[in-house]
Amino acid sequence: MQNEASTADQNADNLRRAAIDRSVKGPVLFLFTNAAFWLMASTLMGFIAAVKLVSPGFMDWGSWLTYGRLQPAHIDALVYGWGIQAGLGVALWLMARRTAVVLKGGQGTLITLGVLWNIAVTVGIFGILGGGNRSIEWLEFPQGVWPVMLGIFVVYAFKIVSMAAKPDRTEGFMVSTWYILAACLFFPWIFITANSLLNNMELGALGAAINSWYVHGVILLFFVPIGVGSAYYFIPKITGQPIHSAQLAQMGFWMLVILGGWTGMQRYIGGPLPAWMPSIGAMAGVLLLIPVGVVGLNHHLTTLGQHSQVGSSPTLRFTFFGALFYPVSGLVLALLSASWSGMALQFTHAWYGYQIVAVYGFFSMCVFGAIYYIVPRLAGCEWLSVRLIRNHFWFSVYGIGTIVVTSVVGGIQHGGGLNDVANWNSSFWGVVMNSRPYISARAVAWALILWSNFWFLIHLMLMVAGLGRRSSAPTLLSHDHEDLPVTEGAKA
Amino acid sequence: MSDKNLNNPDTNDLDRIHAAVVREKADLPAAGRPAPMWAIFVGLLVAVIGGGELGNALGYFNIESSPKLGMISDPRASAGGAGATLDPFALAMKKGATSYAVCGGCHQASGAGVPGQFPPLAGSEIVLGGTEQLARIALHGLTGPVTVKGQNYNMPGGMPPQGIAMSDGDIANVLTFIRNNWGNEGSMVTKEMVAKVRDTEKSRTTQWTMAELEKFAKANIPGDVPAGPGVPDPAAKK
Repeated sequence: MQNEASTADQNADNLRRAAIDRSVKGPVLFLFTNAAFWLMASTLMGFIAAVKLVSPGFMDWGSWLTYGRLQPAHIDALVYGWGIQAGLGVALWLMARRTAVVLKGGQGTLITLGVLWNIAVTVGIFGILGGGNRSIEWLEFPQGVWPVMLGIFVVYAFKIVSMAAKPDRTEGFMVSTWYILAACLFFPWIFITANSLLNNMELGALGAAINSWYVHGVILLFFVPIGVGSAYYFIPKITGQPIHSAQLAQMGFWMLVILGGWTGMQRYIGGPLPAWMPSIGAMAGVLLLIPVGVVGLNHHLTTLGQHSQVGSSPTLRFTFFGALFYPVSGLVLALLSASWSGMALQFTHAWYGYQIVAVYGFFSMCVFGAIYYIVPRLAGCEWLSVRLIRNHFWFSVYGIGTIVVTSVVGGIQHGGGLNDVANWNSSFWGVVMNSRPYISARAVAWALILWSNFWFLIHLMLMVAGLGRRSSAPTLLSHDHEDLPVTEGAKA
Repeated sequence: MSDKNLNNPDTNDLDRIHAAVVREKADLPAAGRPAPMWAIFVGLLVAVIGGGELGNALGYFNIESSPKLGMISDPRASAGGAGATLDPFALAMKKGATSYAVCGGCHQASGAGVPGQFPPLAGSEIVLGGTEQLARIALHGLTGPVTVKGQNYNMPGGMPPQGIAMSDGDIANVLTFIRNNWGNEGSMVTKEMVAKVRDTEKSRTTQWTMAELEKFAKANIPGDVPAGPGVPDPAAKK
């Protein structure tokens, strides 16, 4: 509420923002709801897969429900069903808001493409469960779905980028815009490169390296920019504090963009690749600590003194903890990358831990924060229940924390056991059996997350159906349904 | 996603419809504060460490430069010469020392056993006696009274069979180890020898007693002894 802004300007601006929200309502809510369905499916498969890793006889209902098919289906549902879909929703809304562009037409096309995207993911997931897994990490879907997904993504990215190309307002440095643009422009490049190389050529060992580059690329150049961009938007928006330092923000952005594409091949340290490839990847993985730390520091300095709002605003709480997981994911990546620790961690549970901390702990928590902010504005009603939001938050935080800690610690033990000189002629089986407690903890954690996601999905569906709370006051976590006057409740 | 909200008389309140938008705070441009000095220094430190990772790529982007194999140490090579160059006896002793962890829980790392409970292996006439008897005890276990070095032992349950969990090679190595450690000296036991005994006794499901084993007490399993004590002596071969 700026004092200098005249009431008339303020009103015009309010109307403009309401018009923007209305214009993207259909596609964004469609993407969020379907993404939440896939998140639920992914969590369920993650839980069953973790249980099966400990007791393979669990739910022994045929080959389609074996660990080897469930695990890739679980990750792919998380990445393509939930991650990219929800990420595009956030990107579309955020870019429309930042550029003040009202989406004129094309909503129907976007929703149709969204339907196609979900059909493609469904075909892919059932393809994997049916035995069509192509054994290329994160690209396990049957070959035919990739061009479809690429086309859909490009149309969405084009819509978003063209908003930025003709903004209806000019402001100075807009950090979140940069990140969203980077995500929209980088993903097609990574996706086309990896698919055209891996689908059409006999690459031998190099194929594995490209595959690893693709996974790192999607994490660092799609999920990270969307998550960081969203955090950079919502933290100042809710605290009312400007981002602490534009200089830090620029450093964090450019270093991420430059280094992100160099990572990946360090996964095959000591493998049959030219020596420079893993070394460059290891270097980039360690250097990424700088942009990650810089962004973490910037967020920390911005929220300093505003921590009471982390307690009350659902958006800020999710975004804050998502932003907190960003440095954690950077640290896990550095541990996996640096040659002295990567040698022990390279083919262990720590790799799963990294995927989950990056895609779930960091990216998804930021996106949850965004959804808690965006949906009431689009659906025209407020979140129903503080209790459901709290439930979603705490079960997610504890679940993800457990998965990350057990995967990394389990990975250290796993890799240490495999590499230990004293074990050189003992059986591999012993090391596998030793990691069972960690996998059991993972199963428990997925069960917690399953619980939280189930209620999140129900809550979100009620909101999208317009059955939310009829009130002009936001749903805040520290006041149970207390209707505040509009001017005081300027937090959610 | 539909316009049904507009038909709901409850939603005609414009204040309420736009409340979320009205209560928003303005988008703020980033503030111009400089990056803290210490953050730059920490960044430089990370950059130095990160640059160190390039030390492994001494090939200057040369595609011919292969990974430094020295980075991955061959555990067998690190303990005195590659495994392939050790003579079979020394290799069996080395592997046997590792596998002995299974036995050491009762017979102790010193091979001295525990008086009154677990008989010693060091200086034991059974260990140094016929390998037919020793291999059978290792494979299928031993129950009932046994006298070692003048002491009587009768542990309830006796010694559990090891043949299920351990391969022929593991058992051969550990037998060679106990026959040639703590001052013991006896001929090497090979994988083939253990396989032969396992095959002969494949119907055996219970532990042995010393009475049953008496006929094997002095007999050695036939087979070639490639190296170690007893090789120059042709009598030990048979």
